[in-house]
Amino acid sequence: MTWRDLLHHRQAEENLAEEVEVHIELQTSKHLAAGLDPKEARCRARLEFGGIESTKENCREQRAGHLLENFFQDFQFAIRGMRREPALALAALVTLAICIGANTTIFSVVNTVLLRPLPYPEPDRLYWLSERMGKTQTDISLGADYYTLREQNRIFEDIAAWDGQVLNWAGREKAEQVIATQVTPSFFKVLGTRPLLGRSLLPDEQGPKAPAVVILNYGFWRSRLGSDPEAVGKAITLDGLPLTIVGVMPQGFDYPKGGQIWRPLDMDEASQRPIMTTRPMRLVSILARLKGGVDARQLDAEMARLRQAIYRQYPKGFVVSGFLNGMTLAATPLARRITGDLRPALLVLSGAVALVLLIASANLASLLLARAITRRRELAVRLALGSARGRIVRQVLTESLVLALPGGLAGTLAAFVSVAALNASKPFVLRNYPPITFDTFTLSFSLVLTLLTGLLFGLAPAWTAAGVGIQEALKTSGYAQTSGRRAVRLRRVLVIAELGLSLMLLIGVGLLGRSFVKLANVPLGFVPDNLLTLRFNLTGSRYAKAENQLQFYDDVLERIRRLPAVAQAAVATDLPLTGDHAYRGSTFQPAGRPPLPLAQQPMTAVAFVSRDFFRTLGIPLKTGRTFSRQDSIATPDNIVVNEAFAKQVFGNEDPVGKRILTSGGPPSGWTIVGVVGSIRANSLGVEPIPLVYHCNCQGGNPALTRMALFVKTTGDPTSMVRLIEDQIHSVDRNEPLTDVSTMDDRLTAALATPRFHLLLIGSFATVALLLAAIGVFGVVAYVVTQRTREIGIRMALGAGVAHVLRLILGESLGWVLVATIVGLGGAWALTRYLKSMLYGVTPLDSTTFILMPIVLAIAGLAASLAPVAKATRVDPARALREE
Amino acid sequence: MARTSKLDLLQGTLDLLILRTLQTEPRHGWAISERIQQISRDVLQVNQGSLYPALHRLERQGWIKAETGISELGRRARFYRLTPAGRKQLEIETGDWARLAGAIGRVLEEA
Repeated sequence: MTWRDLLHHRQAEENLAEEVEVHIELQTSKHLAAGLDPKEARCRARLEFGGIESTKENCREQRAGHLLENFFQDFQFAIRGMRREPALALAALVTLAICIGANTTIFSVVNTVLLRPLPYPEPDRLYWLSERMGKTQTDISLGADYYTLREQNRIFEDIAAWDGQVLNWAGREKAEQVIATQVTPSFFKVLGTRPLLGRSLLPDEQGPKAPAVVILNYGFWRSRLGSDPEAVGKAITLDGLPLTIVGVMPQGFDYPKGGQIWRPLDMDEASQRPIMTTRPMRLVSILARLKGGVDARQLDAEMARLRQAIYRQYPKGFVVSGFLNGMTLAATPLARRITGDLRPALLVLSGAVALVLLIASANLASLLLARAITRRRELAVRLALGSARGRIVRQVLTESLVLALPGGLAGTLAAFVSVAALNASKPFVLRNYPPITFDTFTLSFSLVLTLLTGLLFGLAPAWTAAGVGIQEALKTSGYAQTSGRRAVRLRRVLVIAELGLSLMLLIGVGLLGRSFVKLANVPLGFVPDNLLTLRFNLTGSRYAKAENQLQFYDDVLERIRRLPAVAQAAVATDLPLTGDHAYRGSTFQPAGRPPLPLAQQPMTAVAFVSRDFFRTLGIPLKTGRTFSRQDSIATPDNIVVNEAFAKQVFGNEDPVGKRILTSGGPPSGWTIVGVVGSIRANSLGVEPIPLVYHCNCQGGNPALTRMALFVKTTGDPTSMVRLIEDQIHSVDRNEPLTDVSTMDDRLTAALATPRFHLLLIGSFATVALLLAAIGVFGVVAYVVTQRTREIGIRMALGAGVAHVLRLILGESLGWVLVATIVGLGGAWALTRYLKSMLYGVTPLDSTTFILMPIVLAIAGLAASLAPVAKATRVDPARALREE
Repeated sequence: MARTSKLDLLQGTLDLLILRTLQTEPRHGWAISERIQQISRDVLQVNQGSLYPALHRLERQGWIKAETGISELGRRARFYRLTPAGRKQLEIETGDWARLAGAIGRVLEEA
């Protein structure tokens, strides 16, 4: 019906006009018959009829589909308006294309990384269980917990434990490391996924004596076995042991991320829950699937009960020493756990980019208001001719929607291109996540955002349009008009809001910037130049004994040192800047001091290094000596400590010659022979902790399988990779090398994420400040035009340039001042969400909070300069003549 | 312009009166308004601003149908004719009105 009515629109309009005319004609003839003269008769008939246009409008509203018809009318009108004002349309197109594009791009990342459910059935029932302890609430899960949880569990369908390991595979062409996950048979049931081929683990396939079976992930099966359909039943040799392939998991099953194969967990209950006063510290990860229909309250209550059960299993000593203070048992949704590290940053980015869109909306609203003031007369005429106010408001809103649409479409397109670019370049932060997708959800987000933005920046002009007074608008033409004043006041509020929001972004970027500079200038404690690094993985029977490992490292180092352009070479258990934790930690106490209970003893990290480690990395010797030829299996007690250790334990005393005691160490303790500078051993943002170095040359440790190699070259280290690899393979042809990278690249990678955040938020803040400056410029220019006459009078009365400057600049500085208060308040409330992205700067860093308002004031002043200059050039004579 | 001797029509009664004037023959807008005024001896004054929207509303509801005819002055005009549905509606509304008027009358007399 509606469409036919639309088609018959013209016909209906003709009928209506004809109907009215016929009526007036007949009425006129009636008056003529009564003896009036023709002119008066017609006039009378028209008066009696009343408002012709409003009657017509009321008739139109009776038609089916008149709302749609109105919309089309408004739409056409809006398009004509846009053609008349291409500058406004262009401004809307450009700002919205940028802002909606940025918002949609960030949203597509949020959508892919945070919102997309995990690829397992009913993923919201999956939880990651851990004990949380101490002030930092660090998460740990013990093998023993797994058994306790299974035994006591009432609300989980099933619980699984897993642990990662790296295995060596001789490979098809070249040896490689394989990331394996040891799992309990319940693992596959918890995740609810069936194998693509073969089977998953059988209930008895667990523990140290589990059969040598393995399940492959899809990627491994495809790339390494060429998607062999007969793979099940074949064997693959890992760490020298043949494992039978019993299954292949389907594509998309990738938990834990990066894992290539799954095999039985070599853990059994007897070893983890001995009837003794110790508690084995086998660390695992625990996954569980909640039963259907269990709500959050039941989960919390049950976790509290299970926590009691676990708490009771710790030996008394742990409780007495305060080791268990603040212990809770936490159930973290698995999705949250997987995206944990990216979540805060993404939320901050979404917030920042939304602020930019708000500022853009305010700017467009301000532009439309400026137009609304000049259009006041047009609106008043339409009102006088019988247009309803509601109808006018609807029309103004339609106009802003029409103005928003092209920008929104361009923005969506821009986002589509940016997502493709993101996927092509894969910035460091997104490296561990699936490709960003641009799906219908993202598309609808973009569309809804466009419409909302259109409505948002249309609200202000619509509001002023609703307030147009017919008589006033038709009589006066000036600034004094009510709706005109309303519009100007509103524009001031909008500009202040823009400035305030920009200040919030500026403070955010200031904090990130300062934190980045601090991070980039952190003293590493070692020289990263010309340093090639990689990791070994010595597993299998060949390296079962410590002396075999030592022999391998010695041989490799010996050969590499003989290469030309190699200055030094060393191995160590820790590879700095990789985020790896120190090899292992230990409690200790200095010899000769009163003994402390275990839980109160200080902790130190422990690393094993080869003799030349400190020279290779350029770590300075502070006192004493580093390891040398005099250290060997014969002198196992000598240790080197870092400065952090020396300072914390010995203060100003000279530590050289002092001894420290550890449980399980030599009865007379370890002797400190030297102190070296502290280095950033884990990651850039982590302060050096006390660290004890042993020399691998002292032997006695069979667990040095995953040492890292450091080669200091005299030239570009990347050109040496091939040569170094050859030397290693001449010692052991089957030794796979992974993680080959220069230390400079590691440094760049360590800074990549903060740099990416800084770059993004920095560009958002720049756009925001630019938009706010444009807003200030527009309103100041308008104020100057409106006040030309006043300025003219003042100048005629003797006011100088300085006075005019004060008059106008005073106003824009006033806005900046109010905006500063608003913006500082907003920033004060919001910067705490940046905390996880900051290093060495507090969220309320006073330098930033003082500096950024100054930047804002400069931008505000700069934007006012041109219009203010115009104000000072006002010619009093002309200003008074005009109007 | 308000004249005390002339009454404004109650909401809804205009529809009833329009339907009633169309019961005998199709008429155009002006004729309907004249007819109501004439029969009510100038007591009921039809406001054109309400008449034409009411006609369009009744047409959309399918109670009357517009057709082209020739006016008294020889011009093309829109004549409205009662449809069968409109006839039924008129019966209902007339009955309703009679009951309402009777009820009000009784209250005014006896209360």
